[in-house]
Amino acid sequence: MLKDLFVPNAKPRPGVFLTMVACQVAFLLLLWLFYPLQLFPTLGEVVASFKDLVTTQGLIQELWASLTTALGALGIATVLALLISYLTALPFFRPIAYAASKMRYLTLTGLTFFMALMVSSGHQVKLSVLIFGATVYLVTGMTSVILTTTQEEMDHARTLGMSEWRSFYEVVVLGKLDEMLEVVRQNFAIIWTMITLVETLYQSEGGIGLLLYKQNRYLHLAGVVAIQLIILATGALQDYVFEFLRRTFFPYSELRAAK
Amino acid sequence: MTDFSYKEPILTLRDISMQFGGEVILRDISLDVLNVVRPGLSQGQVVGFYGRSGIGKSVLCRIIAGLLPPTTGTVLVADPPRPVCPGDVGFVQQRYPLFDHRTLLDNLLVAAGRKHAPAEAKARAEDFLTRFDLAPHRRKYPAQLSGGQRQRAAIAQQLLCSEHLIILDEPFSGLDIAMIDEVKKIILEVTTLDELNTVVIVSHDLATTTALSDTLWLLGPERDAAGQCLAGATISKQHQYNLAQMGLAWQPGIQARPEFVQLIEHLKDEIRKT
Ligand SMILES: Nc1ncnc2c1ncn2[C@@H]1O[C@H](COP(=O)(O)OP(=O)(O)OP(=O)(O)O)[C@@H](O)[C@H]1O
Ligand SMILES: [Mg+2]
Repeated sequence: MLKDLFVPNAKPRPGVFLTMVACQVAFLLLLWLFYPLQLFPTLGEVVASFKDLVTTQGLIQELWASLTTALGALGIATVLALLISYLTALPFFRPIAYAASKMRYLTLTGLTFFMALMVSSGHQVKLSVLIFGATVYLVTGMTSVILTTTQEEMDHARTLGMSEWRSFYEVVVLGKLDEMLEVVRQNFAIIWTMITLVETLYQSEGGIGLLLYKQNRYLHLAGVVAIQLIILATGALQDYVFEFLRRTFFPYSELRAAK
Repeated sequence: MTDFSYKEPILTLRDISMQFGGEVILRDISLDVLNVVRPGLSQGQVVGFYGRSGIGKSVLCRIIAGLLPPTTGTVLVADPPRPVCPGDVGFVQQRYPLFDHRTLLDNLLVAAGRKHAPAEAKARAEDFLTRFDLAPHRRKYPAQLSGGQRQRAAIAQQLLCSEHLIILDEPFSGLDIAMIDEVKKIILEVTTLDELNTVVIVSHDLATTTALSDTLWLLGPERDAAGQCLAGATISKQHQYNLAQMGLAWQPGIQARPEFVQLIEHLKDEIRKT
């Protein structure tokens, strides 16, 4: 039972495993409660500051605003990136995907300046920077998924009498949708970290990033920790939502994984 | 002796050779599969295709299926003959690929739907599910099937949408006796369904395959006058066996006949030599 937790690749019962996780978390919290570090705020301070943030600063609303912006940007970026990567089937469009993927190396600061010149409102600048940032990462991930297509898979579709386009649709588009969702999940973290940064550049819009920035500036260490924990928890939750989506819509996708 | 004659070509290989980055795999392969006619029957063709592992059988199959352009030469199919295109020839690949994102039933339906109206496609898919013992597994994904189940599913998928020509790359390996019988029965059924139906069977199981076939191909290296092996394998004239002319085709229970046993021994020797 307990020794299962220390055997390689063992499969402890879910109950046992969850209890173990709960114990580990409780242990960390207790450690924090009874052995406060210098400088680092205590658990009590963080909880108090969390309450304060929620009641006076509208933490929940700001979080919601950031989340919806991030999801909106992610939606648009996903559509764009899918288009660009699927178009790599046509040699004519391959340079676009290549270029898009290399744009990962551009820094945001130079970019925001250009975006500000191009679009009018602060919200749009924010959104377009996020979309750009996400798209270039998504294209990178998605094209590499497409490149995992094997000769055998394509030949299989062709021998069934499918045209080149139909084979591509069947094998690459339908066959790899689950992996595309996984790419989106992995890269959502990039948007989620980028948005806090962008919000400090365009302060008119508020958002969780601006809140964090203010706490930082006034040296509210407890507030900073509280917000960081919230950001972390939201991110983890999003991960679970994506996992859930994947399991619901693509039940076949985890059949091969080692259990 | 059974009465038969030959008519128009169904599959023609002209001077096929294949190199991968300078390594010669196949050389000077020229063959015809002719429509064999038996009075009062619609008799299709069965070709048994042998050769050592790694000699180039699967490569030649991909060339015949139009999936791999040969370095030189052409493959002609249909009547009047024209160069092969992907999709003209059904091909069950050696590793039995299926669409992993579709259930077993969906895999069959998508294939059947290429040639038949939905209701008809459904009926045909169901028929194959029962015959291949796959009916209880229809909702499973390919990753949940056993090796043999995958194999039967892949064969069924090709049979559901193929035209006259179909290549089976190792259809018997990994199947139990009952399932080998079922696959044999289906091959016989396919080849007696239409005059033009032609099945090429790549196999290491000489007895099973030879008993089904009316033609054999043996792919192997050739020696020149000095006895040196030439680079690349070919199917020479003496390695194309016409079992119909030898009186060894289309006979149930042929496996017990001494001529048949002799032929198998001869084939084994020839394969060992290569
Ligand atoms: N794409 C490729 N590039 C380079 N070499 C290849 C390629 N495909 C096949 N070969 C080579 O061609 C040779 C023949 O391969 P093939 O798969 O046709 O063998 P086979 O006769 O089907 O063997 P088996 O009975 O084991 O399936 C092998 O030596 C293989 O390494
Ligand atoms: Mg092979």
